[in-house]
Formats: sequence, C-alpha cells, structure tokens
Amino acid sequence: MRASTDHILTSHAGSLPRPDDLIETNRAREAGEPSDEHAFRQTLRAAVGDTVRHQKELGIDIPGDGEFGKSVGNRVNYGAWWNYAFQRLGGLDLAGPNLDHMTPRLARPGEIVLTNAGRRRDRVRFAAAYADPVSGVFMGPRPAMGPICVGPLTYTGQDAIKADIANFKAALADAGIEEGFMTAVAPGSAYRIPNAHYERDEDFLYACAEAMREEYKAILDAGLVLQLDDPATATSWDMIDPEPSVEDYKKFIMVRVEALNHALRGLPQDRIRFHLCWGSWHGPHTTDIAMRDIVEVMLAVDAGAYSFEAGNVRHEHEWRVWQDVKLPDGKLILPGVVSHATNVVEHPELVADRILRFANLVGRERVIASTDCGLGGRVHPDIAWAKLEALAQGAALASRQLWGGRA
Amino acid sequence: MRTSSDHILTSHAGSLPRPDALIEANRAREAGATAGERGYDEVLRQSVAEIVRRQRELGIDVPGDGELGKATTQRINYGPWWRYSFLRMSGLSPGGLTLYELPPRRSGPDEVVLTSFADRRDRTRFAAAYADPASGITTGPRPPSPVCTGPLVYTGQQAIAVDIANFKAALAAAGVTEGFMTAVAPGSAYRIPNTYYKTDEEFLYAWAEALREEYKAILDAGLVLQLDDPAVADNWDMVNPEPSVDAYKKFTMVRVDALNHALRGLPQERIRFHLCWGSWHGPHTTDIAMRDIVEVMLAVNAGAYSFEAGNVRHEHEWRLWEDVKLPDGKLILPGVVSHATNVVEHPELVAERILRFANLVGRERVIASTDCGLGGRIHPDIAWAKLDTLAQGAALASRQLWGRRA
Repeated sequence: MRASTDHILTSHAGSLPRPDDLIETNRAREAGEPSDEHAFRQTLRAAVGDTVRHQKELGIDIPGDGEFGKSVGNRVNYGAWWNYAFQRLGGLDLAGPNLDHMTPRLARPGEIVLTNAGRRRDRVRFAAAYADPVSGVFMGPRPAMGPICVGPLTYTGQDAIKADIANFKAALADAGIEEGFMTAVAPGSAYRIPNAHYERDEDFLYACAEAMREEYKAILDAGLVLQLDDPATATSWDMIDPEPSVEDYKKFIMVRVEALNHALRGLPQDRIRFHLCWGSWHGPHTTDIAMRDIVEVMLAVDAGAYSFEAGNVRHEHEWRVWQDVKLPDGKLILPGVVSHATNVVEHPELVADRILRFANLVGRERVIASTDCGLGGRVHPDIAWAKLEALAQGAALASRQLWGGRA
Repeated sequence: MRTSSDHILTSHAGSLPRPDALIEANRAREAGATAGERGYDEVLRQSVAEIVRRQRELGIDVPGDGELGKATTQRINYGPWWRYSFLRMSGLSPGGLTLYELPPRRSGPDEVVLTSFADRRDRTRFAAAYADPASGITTGPRPPSPVCTGPLVYTGQQAIAVDIANFKAALAAAGVTEGFMTAVAPGSAYRIPNTYYKTDEEFLYAWAEALREEYKAILDAGLVLQLDDPAVADNWDMVNPEPSVDAYKKFTMVRVDALNHALRGLPQERIRFHLCWGSWHGPHTTDIAMRDIVEVMLAVNAGAYSFEAGNVRHEHEWRLWEDVKLPDGKLILPGVVSHATNVVEHPELVAERILRFANLVGRERVIASTDCGLGGRIHPDIAWAKLDTLAQGAALASRQLWGRRA
C-alpha cells in the first residue's frame, strides 16, 4: 500500500455515484427484464473508466472502481456494498423474508444476539423521524424479499469478480494509476441474514468467511488493494436489544474478527485495508458505540490500514482516541474527513484541520485522507463529487503545513 | 443579558418545532376559519407555555418562544422568520411571483445588486441537486412574495403584544428570568419587490423605521431582542457574478447602518444579533468567509453576536477569534449544534467546540447556541435531541472551565 511519504494521500470509502445509464441497466436486470448483456458489459466498463478518470482529475491518489460492479438500480441506495454478495453465493434462496421483518430477538447478559434491522435502538428511539418520508432518513426502495441460507455456502461470483477486476485494471492503466482499491464485504457483515441450513451462528459465519475468501484472493492476486467492508463491527451494537455491556459486545465481535482473520490467513496484509463505520443512514445515530470501546477489536483485524468515520458530528471528537491508543508499527489509518451525513460541502480548511489532528498523533506518513463512508447513493451525485474535491483541496492544505511549501 | 458567570449558558437561534395542533390551527386560520380565532389564541398560548417548559427541562438557560407566533402551516418551512413581518406591515400588496421567479439581475464591479433566489450562485452551480426532491434540500412552501406599493407602516402591535404576553406568561410559569424573542432586521426583510419607494435605500430605511416599533415593544417588555439578519452573510451568494469583498462590505454596511438607525437609543445590552448563511440543506460552497464580514457584523450595535460554527462549512472559523478582538463587554453565541445534519452531535464534540471559543474570548463571554433555528428544518424529535446534546455538551465544557463545582 502506498503511504503518505511526501504528501497526504487521498482515497475514499468506496461507493461513488453511478451514472444514470448504468442505474437504468441495473434496474432492468434486477427486475428480470430482458437485457442486452453485451451492451450492459460495455456500459459498465465505460462507467468504471469514467469514474477512475474523474477521481484522478479531482486529485484522489488511490481511486476505487466506485463499486460499480455492485448493482444499484436506484439513485438512492445504501445496500449495494453487501447485497452484491448474495448474487455471488451459492446456498441462498433470494426469495426469503425482507430483512427488516426478521423476527426480533432480545439479548441477555452473556448471550448476545442481533435483533432485526427494524428494531435497531436508534430506530426505535426516533421511530417517527425514521418513518417520516421528508426527514431525510429515507434509504431508497426496500426490497420486498431478502436472502435466506438454505444450503452449503459456496462462492459462485468468479465471473463477476473477474469482470470487476478487468474493468478496474483497464481503467487504472488508462489513467496511469498504479494503485487502486476494491471493496468486498467481510463475513461478519455479510452473514446477518436468516439461516436455515447451518446449525450454529458460528458455523454460518465461518462458511461465509470461507466462501468470501475466494473473492478476497481474486482481488489481491490481481495486485489490487483489498478493502474489507465491515460496518457490523460497529453497527451491531445498535442492533442488540437491550444495550449489552461493552465487554459482552467485544467478545461477540471478536468472534467475527477471528472469522475474518481466518478468511485472510496467508494473504498479504500490506495490501489489505479494513473499513469500519456506524451505518451510513442519515439518522440521529445516538446509539452508536464509542470508537474507544471498539478500537482494539478493530486493530485485531489482520489488515495493514484502517478506515473509519471521523467526519460527522457523532464521531468527529474521537480523534483523541489516538492520544492513548498506539497504532501498531507499519500500519496506516484512513480517517473520514468528509462525510455523506450532510449536504453541506466541507470547507477545505476544516478538512485540513481534521487531517492535521490525526497526523500530529500518528505521524503524517501514516494518514490517508478519506471519506466517512461511500458517497454513492447517499448524497446527490454532484454533492458527492464536490466533497471529493474538498477532500483533495484540504489534503493539499494539510500537506503544505506538514511538509512545507514544496508539497 | 445574562452572561456565563459560573457555567456556560445555553440558548439557541430561535425557531423550534411547532406542535402539530398549532400547525393545524395556523392552517385553519389561514384558510379563513375566523370562528376559530379564540381557539387559535388558546392553542398558541398553550404551545408557547409548553415549549418554554420543555426548553427548561432540557437545560436551555435562555429560552425563546420558538417563534411560535410566526405562523407556519407546514412542518417543513424555512420562511416564517421573515415572512411573519409581511403580515405586520401596511403598504404591501399581494404579489404574483415567488422570490424564485423574479428576473435575475446582474451585478457590475461597482454596483452590487441582489439577484433572484433562483439565481443564487450555489443554487446555479448545484442546480440538479437543488431540483432533486430526494436530495434533502427542499425548503417547504414558496408563497408569492408581497410587493411594496405604498408607505410602510408597522401594523403588528396586537400580534407582538400577544407574542410578548404569551412568552412572558410562559417564562413566569417556568420560573425563568430571561428569554429572547426574534425579529427580522431591515436588511433581510426588505428583499422583496418594491414599486413605491424611489430607491433601494429609501425602502430599506422605511423597513428600519417600521420594524423599530417591534424592536421597542420586545425590549420595553424586558425581553432580549434577537435580530435575525442572515442577509449580512447570505446576500453574498445572491450577488451574481461574485463581487469583490470590498464592494460587498460597502453594500452590507449600508444595511448595517439602517439597522443601527432602527436601534438608536435602544438598550444594547439586551440586543443580540443573529448572522447565518441561510439554513437550507444545500452544499453552501459559495458562502462568504466569516473573516471577510466579521467587522461588518461587529459594527451592529448589539451586545451579543450569534453565528453558525457547527456545520462543516463554518466549523473551522473559530480561529478568526485568534486575530479579531471581540469588543469589551460583548458576548458571542456560536452555533455548536446544527440543523445541517440529522446526526445528533456528540456531547464531547459540543464541549470541544465551546472550549475553542471560550479559550479565545473568555468563558464568561460564550453562550452555547445552535447554528440556526431548528424548527421546520429538521425532524422535531431530532431537533429536541440536538438541544439535549447542546445542554450536555455545555455541562461538560463548564466542568472543564470552572472545575468540579459547575
């Protein structure tokens, strides 16, 4: 992985706004309408090329493919980052219950279970706001059905990941960029669906880890940086009812981290980055767990870099965590310094302030400026791009302060 | 005005979520249901009492009346803070065009003029986002703007008397000694079509004279007067093409002079001034820097200044107080929670923001506030959660600034 050797590098958390023609093609395919597969592949390839070029123009040093291979059929979409996996796994029946309607489950001390997405504690506390279509919490159309595991999980996405990799590598080559990252969902986030096959939760989790390992390997074998998306590490807290003890929660999450590390065994840590977030929906987020409580769990992931939210008002103050916590040698952080959580575009000077706080604590070479979460589907496309621009401008300001006039 | 003598006081920028019953009563009243007038008065009175009680419960030291007397008929509404004044003036006639539909006007290097709302530069740059109903930028109803067709005279005596009576009763019932009431400043109010006054400045000063009556009523009642004057900052975006900072400052100083004219002889120590860059949920990339207008703001004859500092476009601007001296005896009310995001500010972030200001201007001179009114701009339950976190953050900051006693 590139490090910020002579200026603060910039990247982002993954999802970028899809062009309208790609959304329309995805929508038609998702709806099962007849579609011209050749034309679809062309559209996707061209879109990935454009988005990589656009990132380069704005000054993003380490671009992604915008997650364009992860199908999105609507401009507003918060789910593609993990829903894509259900298209790439055998053993699932995709006509199961909608995940919001899974049976709610209550946790007990020492016995942590996840309830359903509709019973999240912040969602219950602010039920009226979440239900209000004009509150801005709207997360796009909810699928009527959801996946359920009915047989042994196998990875069946070989062609899909191959196409994603080919599109992205071609785009990187065209833009003259050496390093790019591609996202894949972590088992602890992916396995949160109904399971009628595996006897125990953990069996299901590890089956997911084994299956997804194939995708991780494909991305790494192609020479790309792998970003593991694992919001569940933080968002599961809000999904446990009633609120558990921090100790119980950490124990629960460590099981998921171990499954992820199992999936990563023997893979090159120096090209793996881990993305933690508290869920990208525009809710109040009053029940988010504190970063301080889970930072050790995060650092137990066998990754070379850690991406996390630090650019929204619930987590901005948590840079102070790094006053006390030591970032292991040789590892990097990618704090979010611009966010999807507000339409207002961050002022470049605020972006620089935020970067400097981290650089002063962990060292300038170990900070890559990033976004809180994917911008695609979560803010208007034009605002998303303006935020990447502010990110690059802010990183340039910070670099000038950190390296002097040359940068 | 109370100052933060032994802990960081809390207040907010004015508008609070209207209860549904009041919104419904406003709607019935607007539809001409005069039979309900007495019922309306009662709903309003009770709503003000309830909202003051609620602020007190949450730990807001200097409450307002939530601008509840400034009617809104919809939950989402960014306009009552100034539209209320149109109902309190004679000389205005119903117009046919909204402020968005007025013809755009171009400024020259030596002549700053305001263009239409639709021609604002941020709005032009992000036209697709502003037009997208799913982008979250919608600002609610856009009624046609009135037109000034005769001499402006203040006719809101009864309305302001009712507002004051409701608020004072609510404060007394809650045992709160100090409360604030908002009124629009002439430089913000006068931005409507005018066919009567010969020049812009005559029109501006006519507003100043007329509104002075409202200011006096609020101050005579012993309340703190808050002057809402976003135009000082948000006009910048409404000048197209972008003017020079000097030309803009000159333009804005004319408006500040008019406001000071309206405030002549009034007790500065009970007047606070509210500056903001417009509360709509847009990108705000064309907001003028606070540094460029801080002197203009400080030229207003007020004892305290409220401004946005809790959103990502203006959060970094606390640093300007490293260089700018706050005149002796004056206070600031920085926004430390904001309407610009649904996410509720963490109390520790609120405390951090307060401490930055307190360390620069002195703890006694900071009152923790909101960026802008929360009512109509964010879901009611989120608005209240933000006031809750504001109070919690102020308590954290107070503990740091005064030690354990606070």
